[in-house]
Amino acid sequence: MGPWLTGGGMISEVYIDKPAVWARSVEKWEAGTPNVEGAVGLAAACKYHQKLGMKNIRRHEMELTRYALKELEKIKEVKIYGPKDVNIRGGVVTFTFSGVHAHDVAQVLDSEGVAVRSGHHCTMPLHQRFGLTASTRASFYLYNDKADVDVLVRGLEKVREVFE
Amino acid sequence: MDIYRQEILEHYKNPRNFGDLNGFKKKAMDRNASCGDRIEMGIEVKQGRVEKIKFAGEGCAIAMASASILTEMVKGETTEQVKKIGEKEMIKKLGINISLGRKKCATLGLVVLKKLI
Repeated sequence: MGPWLTGGGMISEVYIDKPAVWARSVEKWEAGTPNVEGAVGLAAACKYHQKLGMKNIRRHEMELTRYALKELEKIKEVKIYGPKDVNIRGGVVTFTFSGVHAHDVAQVLDSEGVAVRSGHHCTMPLHQRFGLTASTRASFYLYNDKADVDVLVRGLEKVREVFE
Repeated sequence: MDIYRQEILEHYKNPRNFGDLNGFKKKAMDRNASCGDRIEMGIEVKQGRVEKIKFAGEGCAIAMASASILTEMVKGETTEQVKKIGEKEMIKKLGINISLGRKKCATLGLVVLKKLI
């Protein structure tokens, strides 16, 4: 299999009167400057995670998800999908807001400073299975805290205000 | 919340020319698959003019309101005039700032209508 892109570092021998010989192994598919900063960045990210401790990160994520599920459940228009047990779910919470399309929910939240994803999330068959046109999804991680969940909840109150 | 100005919300909650498309011979449908938006439109043209137009389906406020506004725009117009309506005019008619991500919501109705004209 030949290269799909040519550039520096993917050549072994070059001739005028016969085809070039490509570099061995994967090098022939990695033309040009390697993604050095990407590799260095990835290594730094790994070290950062190790320093914090993956268990601690997971605990923080679970705590935040538990809080989010509790707070979101209080909003009567909100329906949450997926298991309620944070031990068997990740730090994402997918929900619908009764009577308001997911994109409209996301747009109002955006104006309140909350970034969420809306649509099918690359799972159209699953949405059809639940009879949904689309859903909204909030993701929590290391960089979030409970105050962020509170802003999300206030944003959903704004959704109600706009669309009632 | 400029994008949800009163007129848009009003059209969303009470869409004009909306409902059952039974009885229409000329119908077309399109979707924004990743949004779950679906708009179907029926049209009746008499002597080169849009005599009847109706739409059905589901979508976000922007998709539904723009389809509703579009049906009002074209009722009674000649097909030649309808052909001239472009994305820019449609978005201008909505009177709101549409981000690139919501453009396909704002123009879904127009895409369907173009299939019929």
